[in-house]
Amino acid sequence: MRNFKNSRLFGFMILAAMVLFFYAVFKVLTPSNFGSPENLFSYFQSSIIYSVGGCGLYFIVVMGLFDFAVGANIVLSSIVGVILSEKFGYAGFLVGCLGCGTLIGILIGFLYNKLNVPSMIVTVGLMLVFESVAVFAAGGVKQTLAPELRFFSGAPGNIILAALAFALMWFILNYTRIGTYCNAIGSNEFTAKNMGIDVKKYKLIGFALLHFFVGIMAILTVSYGTTMTALTGMSTMSRNFQPLMGTFFGVAFRKYGTPISAIVIGEFIIAIIFNGFVALGAPTTIQNVVTGAALLIIVTLTARGKRGSVVK
Amino acid sequence: MSVLLRAEHIDKRFGITHAVNDVSIDINAGEVRALIGENGSGKSTFCQMLCGIYTIGGGTFTLDGQVMNVRNQVEANRLGVSIIVQEMGTLSGLTVAENIFLGHEDPFMHYGIKDTRAMIREGQRLLDEYGFNNIRAGAMIDSYNFEDRKLVEIVKATYMKPKILIVDETTTALSQNGRLELYKIMDSVRADGRSVIFISHDLREILERSDTITILRDGEYIDTVNSKDVDEDGLKRLMVGREIGSAYYRTDYGTEISPEVVLSVRDVTVPGQIEDVSFDLHRGEILGFGGLSECGMHEAGKAVFGASLERYGSVTLADGTAINDIPTAIKHSIAYASKDRDNESIILNESIRNNIILPSIDDLAEHHILSGGKLNRFAQEYAEKMQTKMQGIHQFVSDLSGGNKQKVVLARWIGKGSDILVLDSPTRGIDVKVKQAIYALMSELRAQGKSIIMISEEIPELLGMSDRILIMKDGKINGEFKRSESLSEEDLIAKMV
Repeated sequence: MRNFKNSRLFGFMILAAMVLFFYAVFKVLTPSNFGSPENLFSYFQSSIIYSVGGCGLYFIVVMGLFDFAVGANIVLSSIVGVILSEKFGYAGFLVGCLGCGTLIGILIGFLYNKLNVPSMIVTVGLMLVFESVAVFAAGGVKQTLAPELRFFSGAPGNIILAALAFALMWFILNYTRIGTYCNAIGSNEFTAKNMGIDVKKYKLIGFALLHFFVGIMAILTVSYGTTMTALTGMSTMSRNFQPLMGTFFGVAFRKYGTPISAIVIGEFIIAIIFNGFVALGAPTTIQNVVTGAALLIIVTLTARGKRGSVVK
Repeated sequence: MSVLLRAEHIDKRFGITHAVNDVSIDINAGEVRALIGENGSGKSTFCQMLCGIYTIGGGTFTLDGQVMNVRNQVEANRLGVSIIVQEMGTLSGLTVAENIFLGHEDPFMHYGIKDTRAMIREGQRLLDEYGFNNIRAGAMIDSYNFEDRKLVEIVKATYMKPKILIVDETTTALSQNGRLELYKIMDSVRADGRSVIFISHDLREILERSDTITILRDGEYIDTVNSKDVDEDGLKRLMVGREIGSAYYRTDYGTEISPEVVLSVRDVTVPGQIEDVSFDLHRGEILGFGGLSECGMHEAGKAVFGASLERYGSVTLADGTAINDIPTAIKHSIAYASKDRDNESIILNESIRNNIILPSIDDLAEHHILSGGKLNRFAQEYAEKMQTKMQGIHQFVSDLSGGNKQKVVLARWIGKGSDILVLDSPTRGIDVKVKQAIYALMSELRAQGKSIIMISEEIPELLGMSDRILIMKDGKINGEFKRSESLSEEDLIAKMV
């Protein structure tokens, strides 16, 4: 029984039960506006954008790091991608988003290692810089993705790209040193160092991978919304949190060995709750309160530490 | 015998502390070499330089004719040196197999891709080969207890067949079966013509398991002796530099225990840990608790202190006060020192002062205002009373040896003036000199009318210090013995197993 409770299957069962529970609640409350197969597919498509970012964030969150520049990078990479797409089509769009995203990740990792200050401070500082660079790159103009370059705006393009991202994440976690070393660094950095792990190198790799996934998220985001506007004054901050919620699910369900499924299904659950409230006609503030509360309840019920354990 | 490891003029300083001072020794192939000394004598530092955890301050290690200059454990492993450490050496969030091969993934990597299945398969093969079949290589390490994780660490340290295996105070973390497995491995290393450096504070174990013994004192080399030419008293003399003998344990027998009961424990149950435990603690009594590691005695100590998470039954003081939580226990003069000193008793990244004053802050405050001078004087007084070896009360506890950390824990509760002390494994990992000091303190406290519950995995300690001994087995009290000269280890063991 103890083994079963630690098994992958048990983790899946909890996630599936949560999906069914929230679906049932909103279906009962608003049967006509919520939960048709078309609706569910639409929720899923919007949630996978955040799931991709959640996968990227997982690499640094397990190491005990944090990144506030994710939202700023989504905006900047989207704008760079759209600008390059105007000259080079899909190649410019993809290389622009992925290249810009990854370079920013390398820059953050490099500065984090060099400055030797907490990741939260480094990324808040850089978020302000990237927001301004995005405004400069966009020339103060809203950037619109050309209609002929919108393969990733809906199914099957968005699902194919997200599935490739999830497969990449799965491969890295299970079949490269990176996954093992990120977990090891998060568990005990001193011991990891003594095992010959180049901690700084893998932290840099963690940031680079995060922002590569942010690059993919930028492709999906700008394709889905078709336009991107650069804004300053920390207005990109709100874009950090939705992918992060998926990461919380991933970290919480790591003990079952199902972090990626947990990120994807967790984001789907959040989308169900959010859209459920939309269907109920609840104001946005209430939607946010309930979504936040639901996240806390879900993580508390499923993944909180043992009674008496130290939680930081 | 040929020399396998030559250490020449090894030196290490930490600030003003000269941890290892110009130590030179040779270790022969096919030898188990014990390294003994008091806490802070430099034996662990010496070994940690050898295996790359610390950089070498001075001198050279030459292994099999090759000068070693390693920067981390993996480089040391590659040259043939492995270590099993005293505390937890496995990493959470990884599988058992990932832990075993951490830093040594190359055989499973093909063009940057890890063959996870092959790694798990090989990990399982090794675990089976060592006889640890209950551990699954593909499972998360977090699903195993401390001892199983120690066994994984043993596999990790030895599967590469190191030329030098360092066993640093590991046996105290293992049950009897785990110890026997480790001894087997040490014997096989010796039989293969390789060598073991064995660190332990259990002198009987040292004499039984080693061929030769090197003694360090205050970071300096003292002597190397053959195990068969020396006895425990001789080793103690070499370690401490003076005679340690008769005053080690209590020598009084036949003294009556006060009939006054200060604490009553009735039908205490902690699900899965202890069941229907009942006993009385008398004024001025040292009540020993013994048993095998998982018998429930450690949980019984927590239950008395109100630290159990789910407890049934009652713990009451003589005045009828029920002890159900830690704040009530402390308020009513109960102290507790955990077996897991670093994680549960001490705040490592804090100063000696702040550790000592912690439970006494309310008593030391005047109108809720704390005076720095008063706190300093308080901490200084009790640190000195415990003869803590320190640079000053503002030194961080993390810099202290295990024995001196324990002195800080005891100073805290002595300063608080606790009347009932629950001491779980009070001399675990502690050298003979500090042990003697702790036993003397316990006798002094007993003479003052304070009561002590001493939980111990060391039978001689139970026999030597207790007025009464309760033996636990499978979560229940299985036997009770009164202090007596005729009481033997066998009497206690018969109730333990």
